[in-house]
Amino acid sequence: MIDRLTVVLVEETYLVKAGVEKLLSELPGLVLSEVFDGSEKNLANKITKVKPDIVIINPDVLIINVITLINELQKKNDYILIGLCGKTTPENIKSHFSGCLNIADGKFELLKEFKTILGKRMKNVKEEKNESGISEREKTIIKEVVSGLTNQEIANKLFLSIHTVTTHRKNITNKLGIKTVSGLTVYAIMNKIVDIHEIEHK
Amino acid sequence: MLIEKDMKLADVIHHDHNLVPVINRFGIHLGFGDKTIKTLCKINNVNQEFFLTILNAYHDHQYFPRKHLQSFPAALLIDYLKRSHRYYIDEKIPEIELFIEKLGNENDLDTETFTLLKNFFSEYKQELFNHINKEERTVYPYVKKLENAIDSGLISKELLKEMETYSITDYEKEHDDVEEKLFDLKNIIIKYLPNSENDKLYFNLLKELFELENDLNDHSRIEDLILVPKVEAMEYSLRSTRSEND
Repeated sequence: MIDRLTVVLVEETYLVKAGVEKLLSELPGLVLSEVFDGSEKNLANKITKVKPDIVIINPDVLIINVITLINELQKKNDYILIGLCGKTTPENIKSHFSGCLNIADGKFELLKEFKTILGKRMKNVKEEKNESGISEREKTIIKEVVSGLTNQEIANKLFLSIHTVTTHRKNITNKLGIKTVSGLTVYAIMNKIVDIHEIEHK
Repeated sequence: MLIEKDMKLADVIHHDHNLVPVINRFGIHLGFGDKTIKTLCKINNVNQEFFLTILNAYHDHQYFPRKHLQSFPAALLIDYLKRSHRYYIDEKIPEIELFIEKLGNENDLDTETFTLLKNFFSEYKQELFNHINKEERTVYPYVKKLENAIDSGLISKELLKEMETYSITDYEKEHDDVEEKLFDLKNIIIKYLPNSENDKLYFNLLKELFELENDLNDHSRIEDLILVPKVEAMEYSLRSTRSEND
């Protein structure tokens, strides 16, 4: 299940870093989780550890050969590799990336190019976001939470594993945007999942 | 925009009017003409460097000079934090309560939903006030004692005992709970309240909640990232001087 894409950036300068961060913030579902400055030893291993979906690299900041790095990364996993390229970046380097962002471009072109590179992966993110209906099972869980049961008690009562209950709870929080039990109570009463008089008795 | 001492405070407020409650906390009030920050700090007897740092950190969340902020005395930080407590208690919370009352009075909500919303908010308020009380009665006095001990080089037995039983890291967690309730309240209003034509009232209530949230976030950022590490460092240094003396 994909609900977000993790991004790693290899870039040294503050200005470009800030620019890439700003650009990513415009695209829902993308999260920048780590930035390397390109001078690290065993860079490929370090990147792999973060388990990113997308790696954005400025070839100019690397102390090792960019093609070597790309090959190493490709051996490990099927990452989306994006190059930050300028006028002087040679074609034979550009062609090794899944796609390139041209540093000289404006916001509109950059976003368009980014979406093209991500292609299908981007759609997955969106579809996930659109599902927001609460299932019958989740309603049952909400009822029990609101009546004051702990996750363990709910698991016992409904013959579920505690793990399943925790997953349901997480999904409910994500779908509704409500984190606390009191918040859920308000939601549940307003949506007639529980009756206010039932709660007042407890 | 980086706010600097030679700027006119009026220009700064034009740029970011959300800073008005922040300058109020320093005893500076609107109506200051064309005076610069430097002049206003002098007139009002405000620590200029601290004032500038707080303004900048509030205005731009990415500008958060941890080390620089940690270099100010804890007493100064605590004074600022206490003043923002007053702002929540005396102004923000009553304003929000007033708007919620209005939702009931103007018949936008049925009695049941209105009661739910009202109870939810008063629960939140109670939690927030409890937290503030605890900070002002226990946490801040403890921090001040630590700072005095460091400044004077004198550590009392009582303080050492307090250091053993009490740890500052415990109280960081409480911030999350208070934050989560506010987050829920916003979503209940945005997503789940029954449709209403009273757009203005809903918008005003929501605006207040966002402002409160923004201010509280700034507040807990200062506590969690500046005050707590500072206290931990003081505790550490007091412990090591003590073991040297032993």
